Amino acid sequence: MVLNHRTVLAIVATSTMTLVAGCGTVAAHDDGAGAVALMGKTSANSPGGAIPSKPASGKVKLKEDGSTLLLPLFSEWATEYNKQFSNVSISTDSGGSGQGISDASDEKVDIGASDAYLSVGNLVQNPNMLNIPLAIAGQQINYNVPDLRPAGAHINLNGKVLAAIYEGKIRNWNAAKIAALNKGVSLPNLPIVPLHRGEPTGAGDTFLFSSFLSTEDPNWYAKYGFGAIIDWPSVPGAETETGNDGMVAGCAATRGCIAYVGISDFKKAQDAGLGDAALRNAFGNFVTPSSATMLAAVNSFISATPDNETISMINGPAPTAYPIVNYEYAIVSKAQPNAVKARDIKAFLNWAINSSDAKSFLGGVQFQPLPAPIAQLADDQIVRIK
Amino acid sequence: MTGPAAAANYAAPTTAPAPAPPRAPAASAPPVSPAAPRRQARLSRIGDRGTPAVLETLLVGLIIGSLVWGVVTALTVSQHSSAAKEVASTSEPLSLAAQRMYLSLSDADVKATTSFLAHPPGGTPMPLSDRQAYDADIANAAAELAALRSVGTGVDSAKLDEDLAAISAGLPIYTGYVQRAETYSSLGFLLTGGSFIENASEEMHLVLLPAANDIYSQENAALITASAQATGLPLIVVCLLVAIAVGYVLFRSQRWLTRRTHRRINPGLLLATAALAISTIWMVVAFASARSSFGAGLGHGSTPAESLAQASIAAQSGRRFEVLNLISRSGASSFQAAITDEEKRIGPGSGSLLDAAAADSPSGAGADAADAAARDAKSWESESVKVFSLNPATATYEDESSLVIGTGSGSSQAAFEKLETDLRHGIAADQVVFRSNAASGSGAFDGLELAVIIAALAMAAGSAWGVSRRLAEYR
Repeated sequence: MVLNHRTVLAIVATSTMTLVAGCGTVAAHDDGAGAVALMGKTSANSPGGAIPSKPASGKVKLKEDGSTLLLPLFSEWATEYNKQFSNVSISTDSGGSGQGISDASDEKVDIGASDAYLSVGNLVQNPNMLNIPLAIAGQQINYNVPDLRPAGAHINLNGKVLAAIYEGKIRNWNAAKIAALNKGVSLPNLPIVPLHRGEPTGAGDTFLFSSFLSTEDPNWYAKYGFGAIIDWPSVPGAETETGNDGMVAGCAATRGCIAYVGISDFKKAQDAGLGDAALRNAFGNFVTPSSATMLAAVNSFISATPDNETISMINGPAPTAYPIVNYEYAIVSKAQPNAVKARDIKAFLNWAINSSDAKSFLGGVQFQPLPAPIAQLADDQIVRIK
Repeated sequence: MTGPAAAANYAAPTTAPAPAPPRAPAASAPPVSPAAPRRQARLSRIGDRGTPAVLETLLVGLIIGSLVWGVVTALTVSQHSSAAKEVASTSEPLSLAAQRMYLSLSDADVKATTSFLAHPPGGTPMPLSDRQAYDADIANAAAELAALRSVGTGVDSAKLDEDLAAISAGLPIYTGYVQRAETYSSLGFLLTGGSFIENASEEMHLVLLPAANDIYSQENAALITASAQATGLPLIVVCLLVAIAVGYVLFRSQRWLTRRTHRRINPGLLLATAALAISTIWMVVAFASARSSFGAGLGHGSTPAESLAQASIAAQSGRRFEVLNLISRSGASSFQAAITDEEKRIGPGSGSLLDAAAADSPSGAGADAADAAARDAKSWESESVKVFSLNPATATYEDESSLVIGTGSGSSQAAFEKLETDLRHGIAADQVVFRSNAASGSGAFDGLELAVIIAALAMAAGSAWGVSRRLAEYR
């Protein structure tokens, strides 16, 4: 499929990149019919706009729960925000993206954090909810293969091979299908131990990983599909972990493991001695996660991003794009219980997306700031919080 | 020249029998109630003037009475007739258009999402048959929307305008998302396509369907109001009271003239009486016929059709919820309770929509379709239950998707399609019953308005002719 569509992909990618590169002010103001409007509108965040730059003066406590991928960043943001606005304290938790979505929908927390956008089912049941991107993230595929030669090489993998591993059809690191992708790399005769997340309310990282497998492997799509919760195939030795830290720790402790881990644990994975795979993208190129490859993926989707910013950016149409890239979403209700709470949430989200202070923390977790048109759409969504 | 003395000076007609002696002057009049001094004074003045004055009063009174009756009755007939025609030609078609628009929109979304879910990566995003069915649904919805916008409905409400505008604006957004889902999927970006399908479905569930449902509710309420106006009683009762009053005056006038002139028949007043009687009987028969026809049409056509339409809307909702369960892959939203609620509303079972439709449509094609729908609703329910009975420990997405969007005989999709077919047939059959009766009821008023006008003029002319001939005898 990749080869057959290469020309088409190139056209899509080129036109998208041209739009982005040539029109720095192109906004993804989308009417659903494919129209892309130039950003001539007044920024909601401009002086006099509807987004407050500061929280209300009273003592405020905001609660956040959800994505473990977003947790390290959110924890840093919470501390920094409290330094700047001492009347505001933000508590964070790490129940996973599914928990974040359900807690925000049930009004148990003010902000749910999710690697996945709200499903239409969520929105039908909770029509007041918004998913507002805060930053760009990605997912790495880590492995614990100590006897790799040359040492430190990135193992090349694609969606089909990953699907076969997670289905138990490929059981060893030196299997022919893996070796075929890794010419010149000496792969050990070592059993593969797949790790997956097991939070009962679902994990955004599982959503991203199974999305990638579904785009690459029709068999996986038909049998297991994609989602925050997956009915994982039964594979001997496969293990279930909780949270990204659990995946890193579990993988570090298991020779031959393979694990999908949120990019915010990139350094932890490296410190634990885990390798990170180069994944084959839609153009057939093997790419490792980096700021350049993640931005290449996101830029290819800017013009397509709809007003509600619900979009899957898996396996995007850019030659250098890393294939598992996503927006990290704040899940909030547009109908807050009172104006003060609405103001405090709006002020915080505005700070997180637009302030240089907040952006300064992104590099530490391998995240990328939102491109200007996407940040503008996020601002437009923030304005809707009342 | 007034008073009994002056009347006595009239020359007696040579060919007619001598008029009866004038009544005694005011002195012989019955005692007058002190509560009505003005009326007493007027009668006294008439009495003072004698028979010619009575005849003149009678002449004016009968002409005015005839014309008043004519105007009131013609207006009433006109109102009922136009209400009946509006029911048949406007309200019912608009209610139907609103219903079809809702069902077409809902069906389009089910078609688009199930087709997308069933489509494997890298293949044709929407098979031709699904694409044609989806296109037909969208075209139908757009056509019904155009009809609702252009005809100008019987509903005068800002909410209706707002709902129509919401669909006008939202439909291109919806189709745009579906188009983009197809484009991205066909290029191999399956998940991006999937997110556009979710956006489309969001637009459908949160904007289009609520607006379409509001429009249907308002148009249906307008149909009920128009039907009530076509068969309502109060104005017809007023016409009948006026007819009785005029008829009574005509009767008393003829009896009085008979006594006064010793002529048994006054042809003019007889003509007026006959015209009154014929037109009144016509009006009563037409009204009774229209009321009966509309009653039958509403009771055995519109009402069961409405129950089946509600069942169809509930079935569509349930089906959409089944599909939402499949397509919503983030979070853990479940629609099991919502699906069960919709299935309970549909029936069969006490108080359910299908039981109501069967009770209102006891025989004919509509009844057969309602019976078939009851059987197929049970089948759909049992297939639907299987989805939620899957063992989470062993069942896969494939197991669930084959139950929900598979096309085999044991799938929820196949069972739902059979139910939908039954419901559509039932609605169509019941609408035939309604339209036939509505046309009959509407036709019952044909020609009546003109007949009433002619009758009123004939009554006025007959009264004038009849009374003036007697009056002339005194000149």
